[in-house]
This record gives sequence, C-alpha cells and structure tokens, in this order.
Amino acid sequence: MSEQIILSARGLDFYYGPAQALRSIHLDIPAKKVTALIGPSGCGKSTFLRCLNRMNDLIPGARAEGSLTFHGEEIYQKGRDVAALRRRIGMVFQKPNLFPMSIYDNVAYGPRLHGIRSRSALDETVERSLRAAAIWEEVANRLKRPALGLSGGQQQRLCIARALAVEPEVLLMDEATSALDPISTGRIETLLGTLKDRYTIVLVTHNMRQAARVSSRTAFFLNGEVVERGPTERLFSMPRDRRTEAYLTGCLG
Amino acid sequence: MSRAGERAAQAVLFLCALAAVALLLLLTAFFLSSGLPAIREIGWKEFLLGRVWDSADRAAPQFGILPLLLASIYGAAGAAALAVPLGLLTALFLARAAPKGVAACVRQLVRLLAGVPSVVCGLVGMTVLVPFLREWLDLPAGDSLLAAVLVLAVMILPPVVELAEDALAAVPAAYEEASFALGATETETWFQVTLPAAGSGVLAAVALGIGRAVGEAMAVLMVAGNVANMPTLLGSVRLLTTGIAMEFGYAAAGSLRQRALLSIGLVLFVLVVLMNALPHLARRKGGRP
Amino acid sequence: MKRGYAFGFLLLAAVLAACGGRAAGTVNLDGSSAMGETVSVLREAFTEKRPGIRVNCSGSGSGAGIEGALSGVCDIGLSSRALTAEEIARGAEGHLLAWDEIVVAVHPDNPVQTMSAGTLVDIFTGRLRRWSGLGGEDRPIAVYGREAGSGTRDAFEGTLGIAGQCAYTNEYGSTGDVLGNVAGNPNAIGYVSRSAVDETVAVVPLDCLLRRPFLLVTCRDNPLSEAAAAFLEFATGEEGAKYLPLSGVAPAWEGRP
Repeated sequence: MSEQIILSARGLDFYYGPAQALRSIHLDIPAKKVTALIGPSGCGKSTFLRCLNRMNDLIPGARAEGSLTFHGEEIYQKGRDVAALRRRIGMVFQKPNLFPMSIYDNVAYGPRLHGIRSRSALDETVERSLRAAAIWEEVANRLKRPALGLSGGQQQRLCIARALAVEPEVLLMDEATSALDPISTGRIETLLGTLKDRYTIVLVTHNMRQAARVSSRTAFFLNGEVVERGPTERLFSMPRDRRTEAYLTGCLG
Repeated sequence: MSRAGERAAQAVLFLCALAAVALLLLLTAFFLSSGLPAIREIGWKEFLLGRVWDSADRAAPQFGILPLLLASIYGAAGAAALAVPLGLLTALFLARAAPKGVAACVRQLVRLLAGVPSVVCGLVGMTVLVPFLREWLDLPAGDSLLAAVLVLAVMILPPVVELAEDALAAVPAAYEEASFALGATETETWFQVTLPAAGSGVLAAVALGIGRAVGEAMAVLMVAGNVANMPTLLGSVRLLTTGIAMEFGYAAAGSLRQRALLSIGLVLFVLVVLMNALPHLARRKGGRP
Repeated sequence: MKRGYAFGFLLLAAVLAACGGRAAGTVNLDGSSAMGETVSVLREAFTEKRPGIRVNCSGSGSGAGIEGALSGVCDIGLSSRALTAEEIARGAEGHLLAWDEIVVAVHPDNPVQTMSAGTLVDIFTGRLRRWSGLGGEDRPIAVYGREAGSGTRDAFEGTLGIAGQCAYTNEYGSTGDVLGNVAGNPNAIGYVSRSAVDETVAVVPLDCLLRRPFLLVTCRDNPLSEAAAAFLEFATGEEGAKYLPLSGVAPAWEGRP
C-alpha cells in the first residue's frame, strides 16, 4: 500500500542558542496515520514535534537548519505565514491549557479567529468538534459554564475539540495523556482510533504500551537523533538497533 | 531564636497588623460619627441631591453636594476613560510586545511619572494645559472639568500601567501557547486571551485608578476653577476634595458648615471604599475557580 | 490651595503648643491671606526691635483666623473683614490695624483704562461677558474671585451690593492665587488687596473706593502671652503705623471712610 508523505524531515538540525537539540533528523510522517515518537526525556522528540508547527519560535535563540517540509513546502522558509501553518497543524499539550472562558468560547475561539462570525455556523462547528472529541454528551447542557470547572480528562478532550474546531490536517500531541488517570487516558486512546481516519496524528509519548496500542508508525529518538523508525509492530517486536531494544526492555532511559 | 523570642516576634507582627486594622476602624468611626449628624440635619435628599452649594451664606446656607459629587464622578470617570485604555495598551506593550531594553526604559519612565508630586502635575496643568485650552477653545479662563480630567488621567496612568502589567505578567504562558497553536497571531492572542485572562487584575487597576482620581485634591484644585457649578465639560467645577480643601479654613469649629464638610469627607470615604471593593465583588461574581 | 497645608500646620502648632507650653518668645498669627504683606512688614520691624520674639504667620483665611483666636490655636487672628455679631458674642475682640483698599486688577496687556462701579457689577454678575463690550479685544472675560468666606470677597461683594450674586469663572483660596492667575490670563479680572498688588498686574482705576478693615483678633477669654501682647501693642500703636504705608494700606487713625 502506498502511503502519502505529508511531513518530511531531511537533515534537520535544531539549536537552542549554542546547544544542539536535534542532529540531522531524517523522518517521514505519513498522512492519516498515527505516528508515535518515543525515547527518553530530553531526547529531542518534543523539540521535533514543536518544529512541525514552529511552536519553538516562541523560545528566544531557537533556530533550525536543514529541510523540514509540509506538503513539500519548507516549514522554516523565510516569510512563511506561521499562523496559517499552525491552523493546519494543530497541537494538544501535555497539560490541559484551556482558556478561562466558557466551554463554548474555548471551542469557538479558533473558528472566530479565522473569521467565522455567524452564530449558527459557530454552533455547528462547536457541536461537531465536541462530538469528534467524544465529549459532547458530557458538556452539551453546560456549554456556557467555565471550562476550567471540568475534570482533567474532560479538559484534555476539550483541548482536542478546540484543536479540531479549526479543521487542521495534522494533530500534534505532546504527551497529551501523561497528566491523566488510566481511565481518561483510555478514553483518549479510543478517541485517537476514531480520529486517525481523518487526521494525521503525531504523538509524543513516554508510555511504550500507548505507542504500541495506537500508532502505526514509530520513531525512536535518542540524544537528538532518530535511532530507528518503522512500522510500530515491527519496531516493537524486532528492533534492529540494540539501543532501541535496550530502551524497549527498560535498560535505557 | 528561642521559643520565647519566636513567640514575641509573632506577637509583634500580630500587633502591627492589628494596629493597621484598628486605624481603619477608627477612621471609619470618625467619618461616620462626624459626617452622619450633619447629613441628618440637612436631610439626605437635600444633601446628596441638592443642586446648590452655598455654605457661606450666613442667613440661609445651602448644602447640596450634587454639583461636587457629579464633578468628582465625571472627573474620575473621564480620567479613567482616557487613562485605562492607554494604560492597558502600555502595560501590554511592556509585558509582551516590547524588547527587554525598551521595556525597562519605558517602565522606569512610567515610575518617574508616578513619582511626580501632584502639586507639580497641577502646576504643569496650570501653566501649560489651562492657557492652551483657554486660547484654543476661546474660554474665559480654561480652568475646567476638561482640564481636571486631563491632569487626573496623567496622574492615574502610572498606577494603572503598573497594576495592569502585574496582572498581565501573571497570565500563564500556557494560555498564550494554546492560542498560538490555534493559529492566532501575537496581537490576536494578547487582545483575545491575555487581556481577558488578566481580567480581575485589570479591573483592580481600573478601580485603583478611579479611586485615586476621586481622592486627588491638590492638582485638581489648581486647574478646575473651583466654582460649585453643576458640571459642564468646559466650565469651572468644584470637586468633593477641592470643596473640602477650599472651605475648611473658613468653617467655624462645630458649625453646621464644618460638619457638612466632614460629611463630604464621609461621602468621599464611601466612594473610595466602594472603588476598592469593586474588584473583589466582581471576582466573586465571576465564579472563576 | 494652601488650606490643607495651613490646617496641617495649625495641627502641628497646636501639638507643639500642647507639648512645650506656649514659649514666651513666640507669637503665632493666622488668618486672612490678604493681610500677609502688611503683617510681614510689621513682623520684620517688630523682630528688629524685639529679636528674642519669633513671629509665625500663616494665611488660612479670615474665618479660620478668628476661629483660631477663639479656640487658642493661634495667639492673634487676622481678619480682613468686620467681626460678626456671633463672633463677638463668643468673645472675639477686634483691634483695628489698618484700612485696606480692595482694587480690581487685570492683565497688564489689557487695554481697558478705567471702570465705573456699574460696569464692575455687570462684569461680576455675568451680564457683561466679553472685553470687546468695554473697548478691549474680542476675548471672553474671566471673572476671578475668592472662595466663599474670604474677607476680601465679603468686602468686595458687600460694598458693591452684589453679595451672593457673582458669577465667578474661577474661585481661588488666597489673594496670591488670584493675583498670580490674573497675571497669567489676559482675559482675567479679579479683586485683591491693594497691599498685595505688584507689577505683574495692572490696577484698573475705579470711580469708587472699596475699603475694608484689617483687624487683629484676640479672645476675651484667652489671656495673651507677654510676647503676643507686645506684638499687638507694637502693631496697633504709633510705631507700627509708621510701617503700614510700606505695604500700601492706610493706618487706622486715618478714620473710617
């Protein structure tokens, strides 16, 4: 089966000031699949994820070299409209970071930003996004209540709904379940299963079993390099690099 | 430190805190006891809604503070209407948009402005602003509610900026990150996420500004003209504070006139307390966890 | 404008008096700001004669000065108006120091030459609003007066028969304020004590005389200190009278108008 490559890194280096965080990364992300990035803390997987939507721009002194493309266009090209890029590549963070607004306004924030003003269109987008994030049933009757009153797991699913509301093509998830209890984590994993047909998902996780459960491709990062990449099943059952094997068996990191 | 020493130190701290509270209670008691009788004697309605303040008339004095009250309210509201948007935008610039060096520089200048004594603000208003308004608008004198509003706006700008900047700095970076990740630009994020998220702190800045403006006497005295007219923008006005300042020296001790001036003090006290309570009330109503 | 400070100063003076007992070598004066110039001339002469005695003076207005004398906050009150029956009933005693003339001042650039009492009434009651009606430039008239309770205001309005009818543009808390603001505004007209006038303003010759007494006020019930009694005797005696013309006022013995 041929797969379409939507994001592609070729010799990507990344620096925080003088410190190099990524070394010559070569990695393809297939469209409409879940790709997991694993590796020990500080290995560069989150940095790589944050290169994809240029969230690293917020850090003073950060800079990228080499090639990183989205649909064949350089992400770090000079003059690139970063806001437009981020609209197409959404992100869910490690800790739920809802705005101190109502549930409705949180989800409607993105669409409003991008010019949707009609009440009915907003209502429709909000409901569709909440349904897609599998939280509609829980909040349908309290859309006007403060979003920060929800439980942690609900907040994270609301974050997903908020990201989906701007209709991105890619969804980046930065350890999105690490702050949640197992039940909430399970719900989100199930949710990912329903989202992967429509969205390209890139997932950073410390949880090896989560990577195994939800992803079809996995890349193993170590010390700012991609040590090994491949179909999840193969990588987990027959790692080719002994460092991957050591990490998977708990002897590393 | 020994246990006894520890206990003694804590007792001293507690006593100091108690002293502050006691002072406030004393002040409240003073204003109530000195201000209320005259209001009762004059009549609540006549006092608060009376349109003529003519306290010096020995035969038939009139103690209507409505002109003074309205002038104070208009003055403070006008000053806030100018200083709050300007202050918020300045705070936003300092907290977010400005390069570090520029921000530090502007911050120092704002602090310097805050340190300008009110009498100096009044002096500048008197020698620059008032003649300008006079010539520009063909007014007899230029001393006016407008001049008072402008001077007050300058005076309350620094505390508004400072408080608003603190409030903005306290907004978690995660909110802004979330907004950027949704494709918002920096300006969109600052105005639609950062400012609203700073809500109660910003409100506190506004309330503090209005409170300061209501309470300011010296500078206003120098530019407002001080005639107890019903306020008009370009006309001479007397505010609650300047009313007290102008007349207290002439009021015989214990006379109704002096007690009426103390009642104005009570009204001022209540206004300022209300302004201080406002942010707290709003926060409780907002129901944010 | 000076009221707040004056009040604070009075408090301070009261506290000091209470703490240290009234120092024999100090005389505290308070009251009419219009009398400031006259009192300072007298004070200078007096201090030369009695270097051991300090004379302090603040200008909180006639009303405050009389109250101060009655309550003992100051030794001698300064009043630039006659005492009221009520004040006399409470024990106030006025000692005529001098007769002061109230003059009408305008900006030095104002071309208006003379004025009748009728014109003055028209201006101060707001019937005449522009200088062009008087042969001046086409500018609005800014009517400057003193705050209610001022001795100068009482005397001015009382003499012209327009008490309580004035339409002031601005009211000021002291003679100096009126003077300074007239000097700073080409539209302005204001009344001040002759003794306070300087070259920063132009005095408009009138066809009438506006006079009022300068009084030193004491209280029947508060005995004067030796120092205060000495100052009172000096100021109201022939010695003081020699100095009074220096400040532009007429000594008491020139008689009532």
